[in-house]
Amino acid sequence: MKYLDLSLSEVLDLLNAGKVSSVELVTECFDRINETSDLNALNSTYKDEAIKRAREIDERRKNGESVGALAGIPIVLKDNINYLGTKTTCASKFLENFVSPYSATCAERLHAADAIVIGKANMDEFAMGSSNENSAFGAVKNPVDNTRVPGGSSGGSACTVAARQCFAALGTDTGGSIREPSSFCGVVGIKPTYGRVSRYGVVAFASSLDQVGPITRTVRDNAMMLNVISGADEHDMTSSRVSVPDFTSKLEAGVKGIKIGVAKQFFTDALSGEVRNALDKAIEWYKNAGAEIVEIDLPSLVTALAVYYVISSAEAASNLARFDGVKYGRRAPEYTDIVDLYFKSRTQGFGAEVKRRIMLGNYVLSSGYYDAFYRKAKRVQKVIRNEFNEAFKLCDVLISPTTATTAFKLGEKANDCVAMYLTDIFTVPINIAGVPALSMPCGKDANGLPIGMQIIAKHFDEETIYQVANAFETAHKEDK
Amino acid sequence: MITIDDVKKLAKLSRLEFTDEEAAKFVGELEATLKQVDAINKVDVSKIDLIEDTINADTDLRRDEIIPSLTSSEIVANAPEREDGAFLVPVTVAEE
Repeated sequence: MKYLDLSLSEVLDLLNAGKVSSVELVTECFDRINETSDLNALNSTYKDEAIKRAREIDERRKNGESVGALAGIPIVLKDNINYLGTKTTCASKFLENFVSPYSATCAERLHAADAIVIGKANMDEFAMGSSNENSAFGAVKNPVDNTRVPGGSSGGSACTVAARQCFAALGTDTGGSIREPSSFCGVVGIKPTYGRVSRYGVVAFASSLDQVGPITRTVRDNAMMLNVISGADEHDMTSSRVSVPDFTSKLEAGVKGIKIGVAKQFFTDALSGEVRNALDKAIEWYKNAGAEIVEIDLPSLVTALAVYYVISSAEAASNLARFDGVKYGRRAPEYTDIVDLYFKSRTQGFGAEVKRRIMLGNYVLSSGYYDAFYRKAKRVQKVIRNEFNEAFKLCDVLISPTTATTAFKLGEKANDCVAMYLTDIFTVPINIAGVPALSMPCGKDANGLPIGMQIIAKHFDEETIYQVANAFETAHKEDK
Repeated sequence: MITIDDVKKLAKLSRLEFTDEEAAKFVGELEATLKQVDAINKVDVSKIDLIEDTINADTDLRRDEIIPSLTSSEIVANAPEREDGAFLVPVTVAEE
């Protein structure tokens, strides 16, 4: 048996029982990474350092010294998360040689829990994209079907977990960038409540929407990862002081009496028949398991994508203004003066999609348009947020498809930005409302491609999401 | 309506350069995206007040204390050109 066929929690039990060493696990991960390198999931790996750290942790464990909650577990970080001394490229030519001078709080917390970072995952450049085709280092392939996209922007993170190159990964999610690739690759990914996880040290895309979250093969593994990375951080004033529960404590509580909301706005004509059937079956299962199904109305949901493109692009244009060819990253080899240096460095450093978002962002922020676009979008955001708050007075969780279809072909939407943006139609509203949502597998289509179910809860109620998700996963283990 | 001049003005604001062909492509793409964005005008926001959102009661400000931070050499370590712990840029003020 391969240890990589086990979940993080199972292998942690073996580590604690002395039945496997961390060195063995890390070695198996690198064997697997070599076998599956054509997936292009990872931008960098740290084999020697990882083995060295695994040996130290094995030693401490053997000597009965105290070890962290994830001691000896090999994990991967998305390539926009700083980790001291490693390259953090954001899959951009601009940052090809950028070396992190410090660690992001989420990475630091995983390190402190004795998890072993074995590499950084490929992604869409600066986390902008839904297919991972916008990477300056090449597209990532879907491990289920190599002719298809893994989703994006955390495509590498979802791929590396699904392909069993590691036991868990971190992604970031601004409009669906954890959940959409998790859906396409058949793994479990959560976008926690905005503020649940510190963004310090994570390269900013849209600061009011960005959130870090774990991608894993099981619901329990996901809860264990979120336990470690959550909580207030003095380096991020938007990180929340709301207390962090043990996210594993209600996993086995079942769904009897749980009120599950279903909103028709999530079940549109855009849904493929197979996705709709899988969701119908899942909802039926919940009903039979004792949950109460409640009809919910979210009339403004359809406007969330429009709100998203105004707010996220405006914030991205502002955040990416710092890339000027002076402070870090790439500088154009030839220029006439300082202003020309800015123009040339940015033009040569950024890819097409990043430029598109910067242009849209500066358009909606420019004089004469600010009120019509940005302020208006912020007001509509509040309408959407209010609708979610009202919905959660009537139900404990909402269930929806994560995406309208299963993974599409590489190149299929690459030349149509609007079609690509529509991929995020069910995930974007969650970031706009700031609530938490998890994507998990709930079946496969006729081609064997995973179908994703999204479970949404009110602000800071990830615990109930995990409870509802785990009940389904436990009952459907045989289908995997 | 987006014009090619709008795109050129935006490019200048964004410190980006485009060929005429790229700029022409942007006209179409921006228009298509803005057509989607128009959905925000269909929502009644007359009763929505944004002022209360400017202060999130849940957040905390950093204490005004001196704590260790990155050194200047660590900060400039990623600069494409640097000298004596400073960022190096082309001459911006000409000599008389």
